[in-house]
Amino acid sequence: MAYSDKVVDHFNNPRNMGSFKKDEEGVGTGMVGAPECGDVMKLQIKVQNDTIIDAKFKTFGCGSAIASSSLATEWLKGKTIEEAQKIKNTDIVQELNLPPVKIHCSVLAEDAIKAALADYQKKSDGVLTDAK
Amino acid sequence: MDHHTHSTASPRELQMARSMCWHCQSEVAGEYFCDRCVKVQPVSKELDYFTCLGIPRRLTIDQHQLENKFYELSRAFHPDFYQNKSTAEQTISLGNSALLNTAYRTLRDPIERAEYLLDLEAGSVKEIRNSPPADLFEEILELQDTLNEYRTTDRASETESTLRAKLQSERNTLEQRQRDMETALQQLFVQWDALQDRGEATGQARVERDRILKEIRENLSNRTYVKNIVSDLVSTIG
Repeated sequence: MAYSDKVVDHFNNPRNMGSFKKDEEGVGTGMVGAPECGDVMKLQIKVQNDTIIDAKFKTFGCGSAIASSSLATEWLKGKTIEEAQKIKNTDIVQELNLPPVKIHCSVLAEDAIKAALADYQKKSDGVLTDAK
Repeated sequence: MDHHTHSTASPRELQMARSMCWHCQSEVAGEYFCDRCVKVQPVSKELDYFTCLGIPRRLTIDQHQLENKFYELSRAFHPDFYQNKSTAEQTISLGNSALLNTAYRTLRDPIERAEYLLDLEAGSVKEIRNSPPADLFEEILELQDTLNEYRTTDRASETESTLRAKLQSERNTLEQRQRDMETALQQLFVQWDALQDRGEATGQARVERDRILKEIRENLSNRTYVKNIVSDLVSTIG
């Protein structure tokens, strides 16, 4: 099965590859893996005033997994936390034209987004209670 | 026998028909062939692979026993022997052969066998999905960075040899880890089989059962991650 042009593009020119320091203020980290294929995905968001101002990822896996996480970081930038929650794996499937055997890559990306958001919220809740 | 009545059987009757010969409607006592009319019987799709191949549901198995049973059943079901038989029998032989092949392929390999057993047993285990091994993930992603760096450095440069030595040592560590995981997995297999042999139904046995299944799940998942990064290392530094 050939990759779609969009997957190839994200694979060759990944957007926002890299990472933030985990303990940096406003950073949420999502680390997920798919035991079935051994893919590992790390997705991070940087939040200011409830808006995601930056996002980065690192992925060890196939082209579709890299493209899915690359696209996810692109979409996350500029979104509010609430908007980010609404990103669905099916949106990624559609945008990248993923074949059925690669749908799990998009699921992994959605899981990574959810994990990063949860981590950010957990951290910021902690900050709030500390401030009191 | 009135075939017309049979084709309009109610669901209840159909359920009963399962233990009945599809051809002569006599009760099937034999394993895969009707005792009375000697027609081949379809292997139930619900039959698990262990039962299908006549071996106990264990993680350490007798390979010879498995192989012998597989050959025996292959000879019994092979489509070649059904070329002159009815279409119904041909279909059954094809279906049985396919199921048999999948069952054999799955059980012959210890890892696939364990994965399959987890599928069979996991339905009743809570929280079998373990949390992702964050440390291992960090390690893999970091190593991935070093690999990328190595791939883009000039051959025969000093940086190249430094990175190469680093990657080589990482490879040794990971391969040792693979061996350790393999040993741990073997121990879990032995523990599982011993628990099954004891056949206790106590609460303690249940806890033990869940623990073993969970640890097998964890081991098998991590195994895939480590295997992937090692094969990446091997293909890069040779």
